[in-house]
Amino acid sequence: MSPNLTLYAALALYAAGTVVALATLFTREKRPQHIALGIMIAGFVAHTVWIGTICVRTHHPPLTNLPEAAGFTAWLVFAIELALFIRYRVHAASFFVYPLVLMLLTLSAVVHDPFIKTPAGISRLFITHVFLTTIGVAGLLIGLAFGVLAWAQDRALKTKNRGALWDWIPSLNVCKTVSYRALATGFSIYTLGILAGILWSYRTTAELMDLRVKQVGAVVAWILFAIVLQAYINDTYRTRRTAVIGACAFVAIMVAILGIHHA
Amino acid sequence: MPLIVVGVNHRTAAVDVRERLSIAPSRMAETLDDLRSLDGINGAAVLSTCNRVEAIVSASAEDVIEPIVDWLTQRAGTARAELEKHVYILRHGDVLKHLFRVASGLDSMIVGEPQIAGQVRAAFLASRERGALDSLLSQVFDQTMRVAKRVRTDTGIGEHAVSVPYAAVELAKKIFGDLHGLQVLLIGAGDMGELTAEHLSAFGLEQIFVANRAHDRAIELAERFHGQAVKFENVEPYLATCDIVIASTAAPHFVIESDHVHRALATRRRRNLFLIDLSVPRNIDPSIAGIDGAYLYNIDDLQQVADSNRELRMQKAHEAEEIVEREVDGFRRRLVAQDAVPTIVELQGRLEDIRTHELEKCLRRMGPVSADQRAAVEQLSTQLVNKILHYPILQLKEAEEPAERETLRKTIRKIFGLR
Repeated sequence: MSPNLTLYAALALYAAGTVVALATLFTREKRPQHIALGIMIAGFVAHTVWIGTICVRTHHPPLTNLPEAAGFTAWLVFAIELALFIRYRVHAASFFVYPLVLMLLTLSAVVHDPFIKTPAGISRLFITHVFLTTIGVAGLLIGLAFGVLAWAQDRALKTKNRGALWDWIPSLNVCKTVSYRALATGFSIYTLGILAGILWSYRTTAELMDLRVKQVGAVVAWILFAIVLQAYINDTYRTRRTAVIGACAFVAIMVAILGIHHA
Repeated sequence: MPLIVVGVNHRTAAVDVRERLSIAPSRMAETLDDLRSLDGINGAAVLSTCNRVEAIVSASAEDVIEPIVDWLTQRAGTARAELEKHVYILRHGDVLKHLFRVASGLDSMIVGEPQIAGQVRAAFLASRERGALDSLLSQVFDQTMRVAKRVRTDTGIGEHAVSVPYAAVELAKKIFGDLHGLQVLLIGAGDMGELTAEHLSAFGLEQIFVANRAHDRAIELAERFHGQAVKFENVEPYLATCDIVIASTAAPHFVIESDHVHRALATRRRRNLFLIDLSVPRNIDPSIAGIDGAYLYNIDDLQQVADSNRELRMQKAHEAEEIVEREVDGFRRRLVAQDAVPTIVELQGRLEDIRTHELEKCLRRMGPVSADQRAAVEQLSTQLVNKILHYPILQLKEAEEPAERETLRKTIRKIFGLR
């Protein structure tokens, strides 16, 4: 049996769950949202089995190449979303998080080649770098998703025009709090991850960093997320400027993830 | 076994009739005993709310209806002919549909109101505690509550406020989430402002400050809300600490200017400010709506929210009616199938006896047979019996009308010689 069978199962389930969840944008019915969540959880189980299989077969965490890292990031993003759903019952985040999870896992499936045995000379520092960066990215992406929700809620309240998301979005306070905490936590962990990466680079190449796509993408994302976080702290996140910077930060993170393949 | 509802509600009877029939919770046990003492009643529950009084019974026959109407007449202390003008009588499937609709809030004066589900639950629980629920009514009760929950969960019919004060509460929840621990500043003593503050205070507010031009009135209102009265001309500092401001004065000018809010927000850091202006002429400068972190709603905005919620509820009510129809259909089928079970079991037993008896006779006549031959004959006899039973069982399970079901049951018993 192909070890990637569970990956394809997870992918199919995530795709189905995402389609059902997005369809509820038009119907405003809760039942399909619950069905979508159920399908996504089934996908998450398959996803977990796939990650477990990688760990067992390769004897290393699923973090040594693009498909593994993208797959692990998707897994973490959904795990955090699930935890937040249990705590806050936020359906609206699914409109952003489900497609993101699907996209990241599709990347894993398209690029292929996980299940590579631990490359020779791989150090604990490198694993720490990838592990912290991945967790940080997951937190930052969740923070961005809730930031978008906070922005949408603020607009709806200001314009007194309830859009399609009104019923699905929790209170403005919850969106802001979750977004801020996820961004702050994700940013701190991401920073530690980048520092570990710099240290690892210095040990292996005697240079702090070079100008490959993933490094540049990661540093640009770090700067942009720092600006978004600063906007939160100053309570100016509502501005169009912050939204544009957030979108750029998302693109930079994606570039950094894709850049892993070309490392 | 017939299910019957006899009662009056806000559509069939005016309040003077309903109040004569209404039953205080303290007298419910006695009322249930009284109703159950009528001949032919197996189980009973009484639903008594502001909008309806209904006797819900399972009985051995429909002839209990007349005694129930008499019982209600006696309770109302009026002439039977007079009460009959207001009473409705529902039977069988209509009872299920009625109960499912009532518990889901579809039969309420304000469609989708959530309190009725709790009232139906309380009525059935009171009956269960008194030992007045038979097995049929018990199943009906459980299913009624399941349907009510499903309607609320699937359609969200009761989620949106349909009055101005509740619309304000709904918006406050959209901004702050949990209202617990928030502070409210009520400026003025207008009725709508007072009502809004009252609704908000039910959500565990930390403090309500009341300011009014007549300070005595402010003290009086503050006492009512266990709050604190403040001087009317000294409200500005409270904008920095309060999360919700309700203005409802008769002043012909703005009481809160945009400068006040700018200054307050500067000290509030990331905490939002919700301003509700219920006055005409307006008391809060409309330009405040453009300030980041301040959310201003006037009486028209809130009325619009309430109106659009009402429309939304009507749409949801259509979805809810479809759910109720499906649930009635499914539950009725289950009840009918369940009702037919004893006859079906007896019928199957009877034919199985005949089959085994005749099979033994046949095998004795045939003499020695191989195991395969014996199995083939057994299979043949079993298939024959199953084919013969198929349609009678199907008919028993699908006959929805009790009278039709009873006739069918008697006919089958007679034909197959069941006891």
